[in-house]
Amino acid sequence: MIGPRSWVARRLLLGVAQTAAVVLLVFSLTEALPGDAAVALAGDQPDPERIAAIREAMHLDRPAYERLADWASGLLHGDFGTSLASGRPVSSYIADGFGPTVLLAVLTMVLLVPAGVGLGVLAAGHEGRFVDRLVSSVTLGVYAVPEFAFGVLLVTVFALRLGWLPPTAVGYGTDLLDHPAALVLPVLVLLSRPVCSLARLVRAGMIDALASPYVAQARRYGISGFRIRYAHALPNAIAPCAQQLARTVDWLLCGVIVVEALYVIPGLGTVLINAVAERDVPVVQGLAVVFGLTAVVLNLGADLVVHRLAPRAGVAA
Amino acid sequence: MKTLAGIRPGRFTIGLVIIAVPLTLALLGPLLAGEPGPRAPSFTLGGGHWLGTDFVGRDVWQQVLLGGRSVVLVALAATTLAYLVALPLGLISALTHRTWLEELLMRPLDVLLAVPSLLLILLVAAVFSPGAVGLSLLVAVVNIPDAARMVRAAAAEAASRPAVEALRMQGETWWRMAVGYVGRSIARTLAADAGVRLTGVLYLVATAAFLGVGVAPDASDWAVMVDRNRTGLFVQPWAVVVPALLIVALTMGSNLLFDAALEKPHRRKGNGCERGR
Amino acid sequence: MNAVAEVKDLRVEIGGRAIVDGVSFQVRPGKVTALVGTSGSGKTTTGLALLGEYPAGARVTGDVRVSNGLVGYVPQHPGAVLNPARRVGALLRDIARDQVRRLPRPQRRAAARTRVLHALSVAQLPEGELLLRRYPHQLSGGQQQRAVLAQALLLGASVVVADEPTTGQDALTKRRIVDQLAAVARQGIAVVLLSHDLDVVRALADEVLVMRGGRVVEAAPAEQLWLAPQHPWTAELLAAEGKMGDSPPARDGQAALQVEGLTARHRDGARSTKEAVHIPELTVRSGECLAVIGRSGSGKTTFARCLAGLHRDYAGDVLLDGVPLPRSLRARTREQLAAVQYVFQDARAAFDEHRPVLDQVARTAVRLRGAHPREALAEALHTLTGLGLTEELALRAPGQLSGGELQRTALARALLARPRVLVCDEITAGLDTVTRRALLDTLAGLLRDRPELALVLITHDLDAAAAAARIAVLDAGELVEQGPARHVLTSPRHPFTVSLVDTSVRLAAETRSRRW
Repeated sequence: MIGPRSWVARRLLLGVAQTAAVVLLVFSLTEALPGDAAVALAGDQPDPERIAAIREAMHLDRPAYERLADWASGLLHGDFGTSLASGRPVSSYIADGFGPTVLLAVLTMVLLVPAGVGLGVLAAGHEGRFVDRLVSSVTLGVYAVPEFAFGVLLVTVFALRLGWLPPTAVGYGTDLLDHPAALVLPVLVLLSRPVCSLARLVRAGMIDALASPYVAQARRYGISGFRIRYAHALPNAIAPCAQQLARTVDWLLCGVIVVEALYVIPGLGTVLINAVAERDVPVVQGLAVVFGLTAVVLNLGADLVVHRLAPRAGVAA
Repeated sequence: MKTLAGIRPGRFTIGLVIIAVPLTLALLGPLLAGEPGPRAPSFTLGGGHWLGTDFVGRDVWQQVLLGGRSVVLVALAATTLAYLVALPLGLISALTHRTWLEELLMRPLDVLLAVPSLLLILLVAAVFSPGAVGLSLLVAVVNIPDAARMVRAAAAEAASRPAVEALRMQGETWWRMAVGYVGRSIARTLAADAGVRLTGVLYLVATAAFLGVGVAPDASDWAVMVDRNRTGLFVQPWAVVVPALLIVALTMGSNLLFDAALEKPHRRKGNGCERGR
Repeated sequence: MNAVAEVKDLRVEIGGRAIVDGVSFQVRPGKVTALVGTSGSGKTTTGLALLGEYPAGARVTGDVRVSNGLVGYVPQHPGAVLNPARRVGALLRDIARDQVRRLPRPQRRAAARTRVLHALSVAQLPEGELLLRRYPHQLSGGQQQRAVLAQALLLGASVVVADEPTTGQDALTKRRIVDQLAAVARQGIAVVLLSHDLDVVRALADEVLVMRGGRVVEAAPAEQLWLAPQHPWTAELLAAEGKMGDSPPARDGQAALQVEGLTARHRDGARSTKEAVHIPELTVRSGECLAVIGRSGSGKTTFARCLAGLHRDYAGDVLLDGVPLPRSLRARTREQLAAVQYVFQDARAAFDEHRPVLDQVARTAVRLRGAHPREALAEALHTLTGLGLTEELALRAPGQLSGGELQRTALARALLARPRVLVCDEITAGLDTVTRRALLDTLAGLLRDRPELALVLITHDLDAAAAAARIAVLDAGELVEQGPARHVLTSPRHPFTVSLVDTSVRLAAETRSRRW
């Protein structure tokens, strides 16, 4: 009854609904403010001038649906509104923070798959023996640890005790590629959770696949252990992981915010945290839309790729 | 070596040992902390302070004793809350025969699932400045979609088995089928999920506190201690390292413990076959 | 002819208990050797020993020798040995790659390809090129089986072990599998057939080994064994086969259930497409058994579920004593629920694995007849022992009962409702011959003891259907023929029934000489 095309259509529709939900959710924040939004945002010492300025900047005198329409159509043109704190356009904040964040994300993604799959295959190949127990226990343990605690301990050891790496990215500006040493710890911390999760999934998938009747058949017919492991078992172990990989998008986005705060990297996460601290609502909204839509798009992309790669998933969906 | 329940003692013991220290400190620490002493200079070592002083000159050891309770209690409250909502939601949508009801209950959750959890927490924090109660509510809310989906999937699988149709042929009551059979069949899956979820919630609560959500800037909280004392890391590392280690031990230990306790009885594969002539 | 494989005094022991003991036999090229026995007789363990595979923790003594060491394997479900994430060609190419290693590098690829395509064409898959690029789930069951056979042929196997290749298949599919295995034997390959399906063994085997409790009780050339079985167990095994044409006469009893203008939609398992079932008129009479036969996907299970109220999506009426039954179970009264009971194909999945079966059986009487729990337990035990189960078995959880025992328990659970109509969905599928015969005898006994009862037997197995007084034939959702079993089985009118009956009869009657 459910063909592949209609599955794709339904998934795309869900993506559209999620996009709308993100935009609505972010917008509704100002509506949710108790009492007069302008007074609430003006801070501890509200002077009438500042309240008036906020009301002006956020067009609070106009009805909500008009502001939503304006804001949403502005988003389409890259106009995210104006900061309450500085009066600069929100898009300039985003432009400033974009480079470092994308650099971190790309580096992490590039290292994530080989590291996770490699560890998983290694553990599965030594199932039940020391290497497997070590990899399984360490990945299981580290997987749950918050990035900030892990990161601060790494700083203590590698920057403070050993002095090998700089403790933060302070003083390097936004051009982090020129200072690769400053990137080692952030990327390591950012990788910690997704790598562990991926390694565990690959290990479980490999062990299942290696115990399956089709691998038994390949063994029976004299196929070499190397080919069985990588050409016959691994593709089966990868398919379910790809689906789970989409979920790690959530972790990566959370992780980026924490890691930037921890290592003082001037990326989007730092901008967001500062804006939250200053209750600079237009900036928070603009960044939330960027982060939220990135998550929606990455989830959608991952699902579609998995659907294409694992033909059986479509039957189940 | 295997015990009856199929638990491998190795990982279980390791988990127990790792979690014992932070959990004991978190639950009993506040009783042992005593009255706060007079403030000393910031970031000093010695001077009657076993672990030195923190960024406002408080005794670090006393802060460590006080700072675990909030993380553990908020996490437990949030997990419980999330399940209080997710369980009925998932069960009803799995067992109902009305498609519109299922769609009504589950579709909005699908939509919410795409929003990164920490982002949602930060967004709300930007507007409301929630306290500990608000933070538990928030963390519970971001966990509901996934928990409800898990409950629904497990319950729907159990409810589609012929055993349920056989019970219907016997004219059994809805409650006996929903609770007596479906509930019992998914209990183990639920327990495993609750363990994983509690660890995830611990992560989220600690991270939110580190980013300043749900806590006062000078709160006695391990995550806040890590954040606020970072500036003195080079002078007084204990004020950062000790709470960071405790958080690592708490999250790592709980994950190891739940994994070992809820592991499915282990299947051994056929390689131990001896061949003789 | 010399033996290509030889098993000498094989003994396989698990935890001190011998599951195969003192088994010796030889297999010769181009000949089919059948290991016959009920489940648990040790035939699968013996067959896998030829592949050098033993159960976990087994202690093995004795000698297994295969001349060139190459043994092919065709499992009961061929789809399981095809890698779901790889195209069909992946394993075939890997097998061929090893064989062309000696050639110069540039020629290897083409040589491997030629070998693969040749193996596919020998396995009767002419559109090899196209097939290699498909994923296993895109193949039909027959294509999957041929692809697995092609692997063995490509390997150059001197022996092919086929494990229960026809279990749970309808007559037409069985026919196709028999032809394929015969073709493999014609290639000069020795075939070892592990089966409890005597029809197939009869059609294929040159040598037959009858196994019981891990031992070979009788070994003889096929014809000799069929005509003059030496061992009493062999005789019992042969007697367990259904004899076609001795169906009970159809009597014009009172109508218990009438179906009028029923149209239902159902999902066809694997391909998840929806198809319609259409039954213009059908009557189920008290005191006799109606068999509904058809191939898998023909809609017979959907029809049965409509009767029982488990499938609500249909138009038309199901009348009990002239009163239409509500479509959904929910809307049926207690009496209506009790009147039409249903026994599931997968008995194991139809029980709560946590509770003793006795408690589960007794609940029927409590819920549907308002019996006191203690009386219900006593009645449940009485019914269970009447069906041949002991009290000790009744107190066990479902996981500790065998498939046949569980089916009897499921029957008891339905019978405690004192039903007017009992719908049995494929309850003999997957059981070995002796167990199946015993279960069919039990059903016949039920009809004798309860003259008011009407049985509806859903089956793909003409043997089982022969025990019924009336037969209805479904093909692709259409009711193509119905009537007294004696008529339908001896002089079928519809072309589909003709081919079904024909194939079965030929399969049963086929002898070695006709194949050559």
